[in-house]
Amino acid sequence: MGLMEAGRAAQAGTVESMDCLVTISPDAERRRIEISGSGVSRFRATMEQKINQVLDKLGSSENIEISVQDNGAVDVVLGARVEAAYLRFKGVIDA
Amino acid sequence: MRRTMLYLPGNNPNMLLRGHLFGADGLILDLEDAVPRSEKSSARILVREVLKNRDFDWCEVTVRINGLDTELWRDDLAAVVPYGIHGVRVPKVETPQMLKDIDDALSSLESMASVPVGTTKVFCLLETALGIWNAYDIALASRRVTAIIPGGEDLAADLRTSRSKEGTELEWARRMMIVAARAAGVDALDTAFPRVGDEEGLRRETEFTKQLGFDGKSVIHPNQIPIVHEIYDPTEAEIESAKKIVQAARDAAARGLGAISVDGRMVDLPVARRAEYTLERAGIITGRGR
Repeated sequence: MGLMEAGRAAQAGTVESMDCLVTISPDAERRRIEISGSGVSRFRATMEQKINQVLDKLGSSENIEISVQDNGAVDVVLGARVEAAYLRFKGVIDA
Repeated sequence: MRRTMLYLPGNNPNMLLRGHLFGADGLILDLEDAVPRSEKSSARILVREVLKNRDFDWCEVTVRINGLDTELWRDDLAAVVPYGIHGVRVPKVETPQMLKDIDDALSSLESMASVPVGTTKVFCLLETALGIWNAYDIALASRRVTAIIPGGEDLAADLRTSRSKEGTELEWARRMMIVAARAAGVDALDTAFPRVGDEEGLRRETEFTKQLGFDGKSVIHPNQIPIVHEIYDPTEAEIESAKKIVQAARDAAARGLGAISVDGRMVDLPVARRAEYTLERAGIITGRGR
């Protein structure tokens, strides 16, 4: 299993219970976050904060769209999935 | 106490977050066989974050890393050692030299993370004929080794056989594990019972391996935990008898006596030790294990 080519859409996670599926792809203008799932209306702000925190820590400055399909992931899981998806997007880890 | 150690797939948040609620004595966060090759890095990140941020109550927490024959094991260790795990479960250990390599890597990571060197214990999975043959030397190869565990499926394959319902093919390896573990002063833990729905089979196998001398068993499903605990937990009668024996042995030692009699039965040192072990398993006294 090789590394993904950097800059192509990349995914991490699943749609299973307590998990989320994170997809990262290039965006024309800015960092854009899209979240869908049952708990989004209540937790959108904290989820966005966590996503931004993880990407900032990884030094991300690209214009990317982060799409999250949530199925009850706690922040620890969300953070791990965003990190894995971003490192795959950058071609740093396998996919 | 290591009656049960529950495997949790390293890429399954549901199990990683809830695994400690099922009452196993220990947890094995699995980065090896439970995780497909394409998910190895993603699982490593998830397991690291769970270890950093979650509390596992009283459970002994270990991580099964990928084998030393892969390019993954050093990154696995680097991801988990800084976060206060009790130990690592190392697959396919075959030689004492492999323990030296693990020991060096652990010491270096512990130093970098300001974890006292030697904190991280090693549970050795002996899954090949060579590993079984070298069990005693492997158990003594590092002070970190705290348990040796015979393989199941992998060992059967290496022995050029398959796993039967009766477990005949693993019997000699299991007996060998006990002798090697006791001689080296480490725990002997049994491999998991693979047929999750077969409660009678699990019960039969656990009774047999407990009788051989195993300290506990790996489990792959929460439903297996109470069955194994029931077999390992001493009965009330066993506890009462053990209390009497331990007390009598202590009194005799204080009075400078050797063998004594309790309820018409001779009690010497081995009997007193066995009674102490019963009380340890009942959680009444603390063990002196490595």
